[in-house]
Amino acid sequence: MKLLETNVSRRNVLAGLGATAVGIITLTACGGSNSASSSSGAKDFVMTVWGGDPDKAAYQARLDLAKAKYPDYNITLQIIPNKDYAQKVQTMISGGTGPDIMQVAEDANAYSSKNQLLPLDDYISKASLDLSATFGPVAENWKYKDKTYAVPDRAGAMILYYNKGEFEKKGLKAPTADWTWDDLLSTAKELTGDGVFGFGGTEWWPIWMSFAYQNGGQVIDASSGKPSVNTPEVVEALQFCQDLIFKHKVVPSKVDYANMGAGVGGDAAFASGKVMMNSTGFWNIGSLAKQDKITWDVAPVWRGKEKAISAFGSGLAVSRSSKNPADAFKIIQFMTSAEGQQPILQLGQDVPARQDLQKSQDFLKPSWLKGDVNMQVFPDSTPSIFKPPFIPEWNEMQKAITDAMADFWLGKSDAKTTTDDLQKRLDSIVKA
Amino acid sequence: MTTLQQKTPVPAAEPKQGAIPPKLKARPSSMRRKEARFFWLFISPWIIGFVVFLLGPMLASVYLSFTDWDSFTDPNWVGVANYVRLLTEDEVFHKSLWNTFYFAFFSVPLGMAIALWLAALLNKKMRARKIFRTLVYLPHLVPIVAVALIFQMILAPDAGPLNRVLAVFGIDGPAWLFDSEWVKPAIILLSLWQAGGATVLLLAGMKGIPQEFYEAAEIDGASSVRQFWSITFPQLTPIIFFNLIMGIIGAFQVFAQVYILTQGGPDNASQMVVPLLFSEAFRNYHMGYASAISWLLFLIVMALTVVAFVTSRKWVFYETEVKN
Amino acid sequence: MAELKVYKSTAFTYAGLLIASSIFFAPLVFVVSIALSSDQTVSTGSFSLIPTEFRWDNFVRIFQTQQPVGNFVLNSVIISVLSAVGQVFSSALVGYAFARLRARGKNITFMIVLATMMIPAQITMIPQFILFKELGWINTFLPLIIPNFFGNAYNIFLIRQFVTRLPLEMDEAAMVDGLGYFGIFRRIVLPMMTPVLIAIAIFTLTWTWGDFMGPLIYLNEDTKMPLALGVQLLTSTSQELQTPPWNLVMVGTVFLSLPMIIIYYFGQKYMYEMNLSTGSAGVK
Repeated sequence: MKLLETNVSRRNVLAGLGATAVGIITLTACGGSNSASSSSGAKDFVMTVWGGDPDKAAYQARLDLAKAKYPDYNITLQIIPNKDYAQKVQTMISGGTGPDIMQVAEDANAYSSKNQLLPLDDYISKASLDLSATFGPVAENWKYKDKTYAVPDRAGAMILYYNKGEFEKKGLKAPTADWTWDDLLSTAKELTGDGVFGFGGTEWWPIWMSFAYQNGGQVIDASSGKPSVNTPEVVEALQFCQDLIFKHKVVPSKVDYANMGAGVGGDAAFASGKVMMNSTGFWNIGSLAKQDKITWDVAPVWRGKEKAISAFGSGLAVSRSSKNPADAFKIIQFMTSAEGQQPILQLGQDVPARQDLQKSQDFLKPSWLKGDVNMQVFPDSTPSIFKPPFIPEWNEMQKAITDAMADFWLGKSDAKTTTDDLQKRLDSIVKA
Repeated sequence: MTTLQQKTPVPAAEPKQGAIPPKLKARPSSMRRKEARFFWLFISPWIIGFVVFLLGPMLASVYLSFTDWDSFTDPNWVGVANYVRLLTEDEVFHKSLWNTFYFAFFSVPLGMAIALWLAALLNKKMRARKIFRTLVYLPHLVPIVAVALIFQMILAPDAGPLNRVLAVFGIDGPAWLFDSEWVKPAIILLSLWQAGGATVLLLAGMKGIPQEFYEAAEIDGASSVRQFWSITFPQLTPIIFFNLIMGIIGAFQVFAQVYILTQGGPDNASQMVVPLLFSEAFRNYHMGYASAISWLLFLIVMALTVVAFVTSRKWVFYETEVKN
Repeated sequence: MAELKVYKSTAFTYAGLLIASSIFFAPLVFVVSIALSSDQTVSTGSFSLIPTEFRWDNFVRIFQTQQPVGNFVLNSVIISVLSAVGQVFSSALVGYAFARLRARGKNITFMIVLATMMIPAQITMIPQFILFKELGWINTFLPLIIPNFFGNAYNIFLIRQFVTRLPLEMDEAAMVDGLGYFGIFRRIVLPMMTPVLIAIAIFTLTWTWGDFMGPLIYLNEDTKMPLALGVQLLTSTSQELQTPPWNLVMVGTVFLSLPMIIIYYFGQKYMYEMNLSTGSAGVK
């Protein structure tokens, strides 16, 4: 701790010298939040989440409810862009200003393995919560070495959006949970033509991983903990994904997407009627409900040899840097209660993780949604959800996947070569 | 204050260091000691800043570069292991080093060439010169974050304006940011868009060149191209030289473009030294390793600066030798 | 004959400048075009280079998102103005001393000042981060502002060059009148320095206004972020694959760029002079 000592002495030097300047600037620059701790009994909390405007609105609405219940808690919401989340939270933690409560998803174990999250088991048993009964299979998502590190908060299966108007015009039957890969392909072919594509995309990991797991493959072998990405099952699934783009041309390539307009992806292309089926998460319902260009509905995701569907979920965890972990857990407990999750469905942000809410009429027939959308798809898909390998090296693994597959998604290399390369990269990252 | 109107003399005529008139030198030694005391007092802000924000951190950084440190637990002394790994094993680092060199050695000289060409055009007497000068300079004023966001749209394959323009000329534009072969040229393009920034000062330098030189050349019948290479260019070499060095130092520190546009992708094809350093330090908690990267960066920048200075004797034209 | 030649070369110059300046200017037109697009256009990505829609309300709507854009702007102003004030005063003091006062070790000190210009800032990034963490300055403006109160090699160099060229008569007269060194600095030299100080203020303003990495490291809360960082928040969506509100993002880049253009417009005279005297562009 040599370094810290020198810093302390530096602090004195600085403090003496810059006192006036610092004083002035502190006054002008950071009045407000720093003074909050002065009022007696009040406790300050920082909560980090990722996402866009609708997410911020929903979390803030929920925190407002929490504030009404616990007036002594001042909870600051910090929203961080998706792709910066991991980096920003890590920087905050190493800067000694880590959050008290943080939203976690697939990379949760990157934190729990580094001892940055607090195991919640004691709090959970003290509050006599039954996570499995309340949340179903996703309750297992944030366990690491038999300890629970987060309470499920949002959890929605990936679903298949389809252009109902076009399906009816072409006399096609709506997709079902028993669709095979061939059904998907043949229907997509029927829908493709005139600059319109049958299916939205396979490049995103939740989609190709669904294919891989449907085929009996695994990215990380669950029993040995070793990468198994170049097994015949995964190779076959990935080759199918690539063929949809470059062989059958029923899925837009990167360049095709770029042609549609700057920044357009599957969701936007579906909304503008350039893509006829698109598998993605709940969030698209909200924006689709606001447009009247296409008529649409949702259906469950197809199956392979097995049923396997990706899900988008997140949990709430208590950071080890929290000064009041017990209170932080109380906030989480409230946020994940039926009352606390209510704004998620009222504002149409996402699928709440609570099973009772997923089956409630408020979710299935939400007031903000005009028209008939088959929301039942979400609870129906839940049993088929597979758990991707939530390894501590998740972020590094994602990076390796993106890097190794860059050429693959441009059609420059085939599945076998790509996965062999990826396997090598993963072997060096994943410590079994 | 009438002194406000004091006109600054022409730049090239740099006065010699310590231009203190002889009169003042004849002061008694107590006065000189007082003067010295005031000198140190006056520069104390810099000294404190130097020690606290530069020297101290630099020493700490040297120490850290020989440790394995996650910023939470005590640093672990590992000797030169970080450097060895960086230089011999870490392929991502090698790639990012290569990318950074590639970026610096295309963007800086090309940018300077564009700026020179524009300055030569703008130096001619003509109408609407001020408007042209402003148009060319404007991109330089756009903060780099905004530039990155703008080019994210401009470089979009086919639908983006750049490729649409190329298509007019029958060129099938690449996928730029998505293509590992084109992502570096794309980032270079982005910096060239801001090349107009240097024209201002090249123009200023051109104004400082005595008109007689050109008049003499005119009498000799030298063409304007000839005049440019034999008069303008040599006279401007000190400015060009200084800006090349600063430009290269700047290029080695490129960060925001990469961070916002590509995050180093695809497959590290646009990963550069500083973004890599940043993610090692603030994302992977490899503070020691990141410190080692920063020292290698420092050595490279220093080496380039030294090379530039040594070779400059051969090609830089100083009207009066400047010695500090 | 000679006239024709001049005419021809002028035509070439005009053509070259016309092409070059339209290339340089086109991206800015595109920005405005996107900024004025409707949400519908954004969702389909069908932007045109020349504006065809004129949704001026985007410039109001940007303040109605969940992002505190008003705060972003205000924070940028606070950070960059205070940084500029700090740079102006500290560099003026130090630069003056290097130009006018004599002391043993001055030249070597000045060499060190110059040498620090070549040191990449990244080398001190990590220890500084730890320093500011120990001081409890993370998530405040202080790490972004305070270092500016200790001068900066480049600015010190600029001022020294400038002051060296000022006439000495006034100083001498003041010395005779019994004005101390600080009095000379404040009453005589400082007023004469105005042009260089304005230039330094502009350089610092521009630099801090556009700084991305500093705020990225030190600021957590969105209400404390400057615009350069905040504008990136506008691109944030619920999921990676969604389309960001590009029209509002581009309004943000307009807000980010316009003040720099205005400052340049009013300050270019001073910047020219300073560039002229040192042979360096405002180093970005």
